[in-house]
Amino acid sequence: MTALSFHGVRKTFGPTVALYGLDLDIKDGEMITLLGPSGCGKTTALRIAAGFEFADSGIVEVGGADISGTPAHRRNMGMVFQSYSLFPNLSVAQNIDFGLRTRKIDKPQRQKRVNEMLDLVQLGEFAGRYPHQLSGGQQQRVALARALAPQPQLLLLDEPLSALDAKVRATLREEIKRIQTELGITTLFVTHDQDEALAISDRIGVMSSGRLEQLGTPTEVYRRPSTAFVARFVGSMNELRGAVTGDSVDVLSYRIPVPAAAQHATGTPVLLLVRPEDFELVTEPDQGLSGTVTGVTFQGATTIVGVRLDVLDQLVNVETRAGADPVIGSRVAVAVDGTRGVCEPAHVVVAAVSTTAA
Amino acid sequence: MIELIGEDRTATGAVPPARRSWAWLGLVPFFLFLLLFLVLPALGVINRGLHTTSGSYSLEPLGQAFSKERKAFLNSIRISLLTAALGAVLGTLLAYAAATARRPKWLRSLVTSFSGVAANLGGVVLAFAFVSLLGAQGLGTRILKEAGWDLYAHGFKLNQFKGFSPGVSTAYLYFQIPLMVLVTLPAIDGLKQSWREAASNLGGSTFTYWRRVGLPVLAPSMLGGFLLLFANSFSAFATAYALSNQANLVPVKISFYLQGDNSSGKSPMPYALATWMILIMMVSMAGYLVLRKRAERWLR
Amino acid sequence: MAQVGLARQRLARVVPTLVLVVAAVFFIAPLLSMARFALQNVQVFQLGTSNLFKNWSFSEVTRAFHEPAFGSTLLLSLRLALGTVLLTLGLLIPTALLVHVKLPKARAAVEFFTLLPYMVPPIALVAGVIGFIRPNARWFVSSNYSLIPFYVVLALPFTYRSIDAGIRAIDVRTLIDASRSLGAGWGTTLRRALLPNLRSAIISSSFLTATVVLGEFTMAQVLLKRTFPQFLAEFGRKEARGGIALALLTLVATTALLGLLTLLTRRKGATGRRGGLAETLTAGPITVPSERA
Repeated sequence: MTALSFHGVRKTFGPTVALYGLDLDIKDGEMITLLGPSGCGKTTALRIAAGFEFADSGIVEVGGADISGTPAHRRNMGMVFQSYSLFPNLSVAQNIDFGLRTRKIDKPQRQKRVNEMLDLVQLGEFAGRYPHQLSGGQQQRVALARALAPQPQLLLLDEPLSALDAKVRATLREEIKRIQTELGITTLFVTHDQDEALAISDRIGVMSSGRLEQLGTPTEVYRRPSTAFVARFVGSMNELRGAVTGDSVDVLSYRIPVPAAAQHATGTPVLLLVRPEDFELVTEPDQGLSGTVTGVTFQGATTIVGVRLDVLDQLVNVETRAGADPVIGSRVAVAVDGTRGVCEPAHVVVAAVSTTAA
Repeated sequence: MIELIGEDRTATGAVPPARRSWAWLGLVPFFLFLLLFLVLPALGVINRGLHTTSGSYSLEPLGQAFSKERKAFLNSIRISLLTAALGAVLGTLLAYAAATARRPKWLRSLVTSFSGVAANLGGVVLAFAFVSLLGAQGLGTRILKEAGWDLYAHGFKLNQFKGFSPGVSTAYLYFQIPLMVLVTLPAIDGLKQSWREAASNLGGSTFTYWRRVGLPVLAPSMLGGFLLLFANSFSAFATAYALSNQANLVPVKISFYLQGDNSSGKSPMPYALATWMILIMMVSMAGYLVLRKRAERWLR
Repeated sequence: MAQVGLARQRLARVVPTLVLVVAAVFFIAPLLSMARFALQNVQVFQLGTSNLFKNWSFSEVTRAFHEPAFGSTLLLSLRLALGTVLLTLGLLIPTALLVHVKLPKARAAVEFFTLLPYMVPPIALVAGVIGFIRPNARWFVSSNYSLIPFYVVLALPFTYRSIDAGIRAIDVRTLIDASRSLGAGWGTTLRRALLPNLRSAIISSSFLTATVVLGEFTMAQVLLKRTFPQFLAEFGRKEARGGIALALLTLVATTALLGLLTLLTRRKGATGRRGGLAETLTAGPITVPSERA
């Protein structure tokens, strides 16, 4: 069953187009993330769902009913904002109670629900505190409890973790996922952080310049990016210039089997996008592309080795798990596994040489 | 590292202890000046306001001053309450309208600059401006008459001090509203758009938002502003005096008794009235400062 | 469907726009009628569509210039303004610098005292002058220039704030250290390093002081000093149109000066702007008093 759908939703702000006819169906109980750089239209989509903005054309449906013209306060959605936005004059308990009061629920029931919510976000002892007495992470947990208290049909999360520091962000991310799974509430999450999106979502919609580029599970989006934009934006990517030969890409004389290459005619010049973990340092020079180590970044479980390839002077990153890290300046050979590679016709990209990481 | 910081501090010239002990002498002129020209005259006023004609200390002059000039007090209090209340409400509305207006970009800075000027425009110039507008020969009076509302036929007089003194009160609003704009603008800027959105997201109408969040957040600033405006209006002299030197208001009465005091200097009357004035100022300004502190807590 | 929502959003802007329009009418009307009264020689009750554009002239504006008291009162007020500015700067700059550089602990006390004038309005202060100072120093109060220290007091809350904000914006400590390490003495440091950086704050606090003095009526009236505002009030009682014309001229001149000085204090970069006029007028622990005139 569809919980929330956008049908051809278009929105402009003056001369800028924020959304070019967005189509998106979110299933009941699903957590969908809209991921993209700032200005890609993801926040506009969320704000249209919440009723803070209204589309120029197109329809928004909740459970099959058109809500395009319904004002925000009659939509029964819970939203968490990037800037916490707790009401500063109300205590934690009163903040959580706000949505229950507007729904005219009687007092004992409200009291009970507030306590449940406080337990859910593990802030029971903070009920009487005021927002300015709480840390950022605590405030955002209260905001989550406040949004969930009236049992909304949908939970909307607008970059809820962006204002927090790294450690709190990771914990709260897990907590949001736990609560969402526990309650089974349909959730639309908006973020520019790909790690967050990959960790938390059932499905990810990657957006760019007002358009939905790809919609799929985190694995699909990461492993089988459908466009070069998605490939570059989600995770980091190496780019190799080559030419298609059947279902392979030739980088000069080195042949890499790439299933995706088959869509292009033999001889097409392409950019081959391959993730660092699909690269491997090999000992025999004839088994890969030779190059010089330009940088070694230790990352804990893995190490990123930067290599300048002899071929066309291209710079790539190789992710290795090997214990013995190479020395900067040493000569190495790099083998490429092109199974999950993406090909982009090269004439589209002007002067792309180096690697991209996001 | 620790040593470095220590060295750094002496190197950048923290004052040697021997000289620091004399530094406070530099503040002597400032405090001496205020003592001579502000504190002592004010204490002198209170001192004389608490002396009866026979020379003994007593609260009696204060009581006498109040009962003798009851009408002036009533007029002053009524005008101050009215213009402070109206000024607070209208000033907040105007500040809100200016702060949220998006279209002409210069609008907001126009409103703040104008408020800066108008809040200072008490006095003779303002009185003359209102004479030319709402006097018997005023342009506004004529226009209202053409529109079917003959002010002077209904007993209105610009320099009349009775009831809420509508003429004077209108003139006072000309500096009260701008002063309120300057006082509440920071508080209104502190209202976050996302509070409003959060409220409507939780099922609250615009009315609910204002009742439960917007107004409570603005309340300390508005109440503080009200007190500031009350003090401002209560102590206003020039505008009222320029409209009528017979104005039955406390500040004008003080000047009246002071000029009578030029010769003898025995009557405690002007000093008792001025003591009332200082007391009222102290209470309302202290209230204003306390409420301001409270408002700042939320507006970070 | 969404159009309903869009229309409702637009409707919400109607009320603020209405407020702005009503406010504009209220604040412009007195100024316009003052201008008409001063510049058009037609009685209000005779005014109609036929003579709306007749008999406009600047003749009333210049009428006051022929009054013998005009020159002398204006000169006195200008002298009082100059004296007040100099005394304010001479008193406040060393005090504020000292508080910042050497006596941060005294800050709260100094700030409290700069707010005290709010508790003692001009009419109460002048009562103190007559009731306390005059009996002890009649020679002092009989001089016209005895107004200067009291005008310094009246302007104190915002002159101090302006200078304080200016000092806070520049890193005084570093400036002093840098200047002293280059071998400059205290005098040179003050003259060459500090004052140029405080330019904007000095200009705006001087201007604020001058406007207070040029508009102050209460103390001058009660102490019977013939200052310009006192002349304006008296002249207006005698010559209604001439008085209003002179009031208009005063207002225009003050506003023009304000505009000029806003530009002057704004021209410098981000550092020079703190303590500037616009900021002093609109922000800070307490706002400008009105009716200090």
